Amino acid sequence: MTRVRVTAPRSAARPAAEPREAAEESAMGQVFVRSLIRSQLRLALVVAGGFLLILGAFPVLLGAIPGLAETRIAGIPFDWLLLGAGIYPVTGISAWLYIRSATRNEARYRDLAEDRR
Amino acid sequence: MSPAVGIAAITAVSVATAVIGFYGLRISRTTGDFYVASRTVRPWWNASAIGGEYLSAASFLGVAGLILLSGTDALWYPVGYTAGYLMLLLFVAAPLRRSGAYTIPDFTEARLDSLAVRRVTSLAVVIVGWLYIVPQLHGAALTIRTTTGLPPWVGSTAVVVVVCLTVVAGGMRSITFVQAFQYWLKLTALAVPIIFMVLVLGGNDFPGEAAPATNPTGLAPAGPYQNISLLVALLFGTLGLPHVLVRFYTNPDGHSARRTTLIVLGLLSVFYLFPTAFGLLGRVFAPGLAHTGQADAVVLLLPGRLIDGPAGELLSALVVAGAFAAFLSTTSGLVVSLAGVISQDVLGGSVRGFRLAALVSAMVPLGLAFMTDSLALAGSVGLVFAFTASTICPVLLLGIWWRGLTDAGAIAGMVTGGVLCGGAMVAGTVLGAAGTPFWLAQPAAWTVPAAFAVMILTSRATSARVPRTITKVMTRLHTPERPLATER
Repeated sequence: MTRVRVTAPRSAARPAAEPREAAEESAMGQVFVRSLIRSQLRLALVVAGGFLLILGAFPVLLGAIPGLAETRIAGIPFDWLLLGAGIYPVTGISAWLYIRSATRNEARYRDLAEDRR
Repeated sequence: MSPAVGIAAITAVSVATAVIGFYGLRISRTTGDFYVASRTVRPWWNASAIGGEYLSAASFLGVAGLILLSGTDALWYPVGYTAGYLMLLLFVAAPLRRSGAYTIPDFTEARLDSLAVRRVTSLAVVIVGWLYIVPQLHGAALTIRTTTGLPPWVGSTAVVVVVCLTVVAGGMRSITFVQAFQYWLKLTALAVPIIFMVLVLGGNDFPGEAAPATNPTGLAPAGPYQNISLLVALLFGTLGLPHVLVRFYTNPDGHSARRTTLIVLGLLSVFYLFPTAFGLLGRVFAPGLAHTGQADAVVLLLPGRLIDGPAGELLSALVVAGAFAAFLSTTSGLVVSLAGVISQDVLGGSVRGFRLAALVSAMVPLGLAFMTDSLALAGSVGLVFAFTASTICPVLLLGIWWRGLTDAGAIAGMVTGGVLCGGAMVAGTVLGAAGTPFWLAQPAAWTVPAAFAVMILTSRATSARVPRTITKVMTRLHTPERPLATER
């Protein structure tokens, strides 16, 4: 998206409009809002899709490599370790990555919305 | 285990819960305090409280029981319970907090500008809440019967009495402290016995001991359909659980709602290692429990069986205390959110109405619990998730992310999902576990897409009814709060 900077004399008594209200009012504000929503949705779908792919790969992996499920690590079968413990770090990392990117999307939106004033 | 130990453990947890509840009473004063703790609960407290509330009888007893019965197939339950929170984080957490609504019906009413949608959502929330409380009470009955020999109804009634006292006394604020305390109690109650048992068994060359791959009762392994349908129910059902969602309003802003969810994911991941370990140890050392229909009691009985003497008694008492914490915390969380919905919709939203509604919300499931038999705990909670995924989840997801949703579409979709999934649940009860075909026993894989499809198609057909407030509402849901609010 092209960044549009609308300048105005800063010294003038500027109404104390908050970003959220200003964004609701103008057509330009809505362009930013729509773009924010689109990028947040795209991000959520990508993370969810990636997570589900990894989750789905677990049983496929266990089925595809014969003997893998029965391999024991410290007496515990590998399929138990994978499903019982291995999935949780994947969940945590996905969540962390998502929060980082979502916060960045919001910071970008805020920059645009505030520049515009 | 001697009955006195069990009774002492249960009394201690109940008293601790009540005391923390009354401590909370002194600081909750306004109507806002009663509903959502004035939205000033810190992320760590809030996350512990969410964990405490979410880890129910199904997680504490049911998961290990199901693992004992069906092995690795049952591992999908804790995976789904945890991954559901990831979905909640991705699609719901921040926008829901930014909506500023107190309850799910508040949200749907504000989003769709329609009182009719509010009523249908409230009905769905109340049904979900009641259905979810029933397995908690069954779990309490099971625990009382197994550990003290008292009649089962004592357990369910005790839970309802303690919950009513705490909720009526303190509202959400005190509940937050109680729930946070109960997460850590539950974790301790499972972790300490596991560590002890592994240490004791370690001397008897446990690591060399094999976990049998076959199920003790000869239960056939689940097919891909069952596993996928279960995952659909758990992933999408968590999105719509009323007692989980109400927690997001207690965050100060959308960003902290996300942080809270991340902490919750960590807390859940740590917690679920232990029921899994209990199930695995149960399969190795106490497969006989599966034959006597006591699978759900494996967590309660295993420490006493594997460790002799006073140490075994103490560990059993700890586990019983943790189990009771699970019933109390989930039930009180559900009662608070149901009471919020019922009092706002029927009784005008006063503090007195909230207290009255809390009593109603707890009494109805108690009656249902007396009338029904306990199935496998994890299984019956799984069906509640399927119902939530078919009703509340579509209206939340589409409401947050799709401008085209209309009131007519929302109602049509929720009714379709509710009727299909409710019908499957009733049919499953009538036909019995043996007579139910697999697609009826795990209905989420077709009821959830059906609810979404009906909601989208009806909204398309009635696109003139898209509310005029849509631009304002979507902006509010998705734009970050004012910088001032986030820098506190």
